[in-house]
Amino acid sequence: MNLKKHWKTMSVVATDSLHDQGFVLIGNYTLRLLRVVFLISLWRTLLPEEGDISGMTRDAVLTYTLIAEIFSGFMSVRTGLDEALWRGDIANRLLRPVGIYGQFIAEMLGDRIPNLILFSLPLFCIAPFFDINPLPANPTSGGLFIVSLLLGVLIGVAFDFIFASLLVFLEQSVYALMQIRDAVSVLLSGAIIPLAFLPWGLGDALTWLPFASVASAPLRIYTNTGDPIFLLSLQVAWTIVLWPIAHALWNFNRERLVSHGG
Amino acid sequence: MNTLKKIISRLRVQAYLDFMWMTRDSKLCLINIVSDIILNLAGVAAVFLLATRFEGIGIWSRDQIVFMLGYAALVRGIMDMGFSYNVLHISRRIGRGQMDHVLIQPQPVWMAFLTEGFMPFSGIWAFLTGVGITAWAILQLNLTLTFYWGLLFALHLFTSCIIVLAFSFLWGSLAFWAPLAAEEISSRAVNFMYQLKSFPLDGLGPYVLLSMLTVLPVGFVAWYPARQLLGLETTGIWHTTAVAMILSLVAFVAFKKGMKHYEQTGSQRYLGWGHRN
Repeated sequence: MNLKKHWKTMSVVATDSLHDQGFVLIGNYTLRLLRVVFLISLWRTLLPEEGDISGMTRDAVLTYTLIAEIFSGFMSVRTGLDEALWRGDIANRLLRPVGIYGQFIAEMLGDRIPNLILFSLPLFCIAPFFDINPLPANPTSGGLFIVSLLLGVLIGVAFDFIFASLLVFLEQSVYALMQIRDAVSVLLSGAIIPLAFLPWGLGDALTWLPFASVASAPLRIYTNTGDPIFLLSLQVAWTIVLWPIAHALWNFNRERLVSHGG
Repeated sequence: MNTLKKIISRLRVQAYLDFMWMTRDSKLCLINIVSDIILNLAGVAAVFLLATRFEGIGIWSRDQIVFMLGYAALVRGIMDMGFSYNVLHISRRIGRGQMDHVLIQPQPVWMAFLTEGFMPFSGIWAFLTGVGITAWAILQLNLTLTFYWGLLFALHLFTSCIIVLAFSFLWGSLAFWAPLAAEEISSRAVNFMYQLKSFPLDGLGPYVLLSMLTVLPVGFVAWYPARQLLGLETTGIWHTTAVAMILSLVAFVAFKKGMKHYEQTGSQRYLGWGHRN
């Protein structure tokens, strides 16, 4: 595999996103920061200072929320494939001398890098001002978090290709289905609310789904509120199951592609 | 009277077009209905699940939270039904140079915006979801519904919608000066409002709370009006209306300034072969 092409794609996308004017970037980051402040205040209202609820202390939940926002770009994985279908520029992508998976993954990573540097890193640094410890529960958790996050990204990308294949197959409104998918997956992944806090034992069931492997698993490992061996095994299992499905579905459906937009 | 007739006539045309669009394909129709309902429910589900798990949030009981969520869903439903086709997401129109489409029409710009986004058939499902949630909450809370309360409810709902619209137009006006960079800024502003509208703000620090009720008036989309309607807040009954008026005025001035700029520069987004850059 020629990584140079992917690296170039990544850097082009990374610099391209900086073409936004300063006030747009600042506006976006302010809105994201406020969302974290909201969630933090919500947890402080709901959870007692001492003791734990469903195995999570308030400090762990606050760290969970902060890290979820810091790595949100990697926990709500969007390669942009669905938008390429919607806009119709998928045709151009297929002509490029770069593999389709590598191309979209490189673009996605490139898009996340400026956010990571300009928003996530500063948020991590100012966390103590919110009285939150941003560090992992222990060094092992920190190391395993990286592995888990990468597995989560792989699962997310596989999901993206499966979803896009279904869009092509069903030939239905891309926009509506994208919206549904975004709304539902964020809720089911545990990126906003830790799954342990869901009522009626929903969290226990959702833990087994691939959505949870994208966000909840790495966050639980980071905060040491879940069994890392179980969570990582589950992630590996979903990666092994989903990628062949994604590959097969995409290969089958790419021949059925018609332009959805333009 | 003539203006009102024109508005109604345009709304009727939009309703007809929307009906034709909605009924052209049964699968599309079904997906549209289901997606709107799911989206609106998903927007309030997180807080509902938390309120259920913790039997309320702060001073709010679970059913009071459901009422607030229903109110929030209603606001979204009304915006979906009345201001679609990128009227709410106005920066897209401005940034893409599509203000020209509005300006060449033989009607005032405000009338175009008031009528063009009307989608009473395809856009009503989110609204109905809000009606369902609110009605359920009202039944659970055993609220005494008086005419005065109904009026207050309608007034708050109307002003909450105005606040969302004005907030979007205020941010969206930036697209006059930065068409490419700010093309999606209204969507982000509206998403910000929609994401946070369902959260009770009681636990926020005083400064953040103040900013949520002034600079970024997300508190008036559901939280503050719900407090008023449920009797959790007895003073400041006109606050939502006052904020709606002030914000509308600021948005109006910003939009007017932007239009002046647009009249001089136009849009340079379209390339010679018809694509946007």
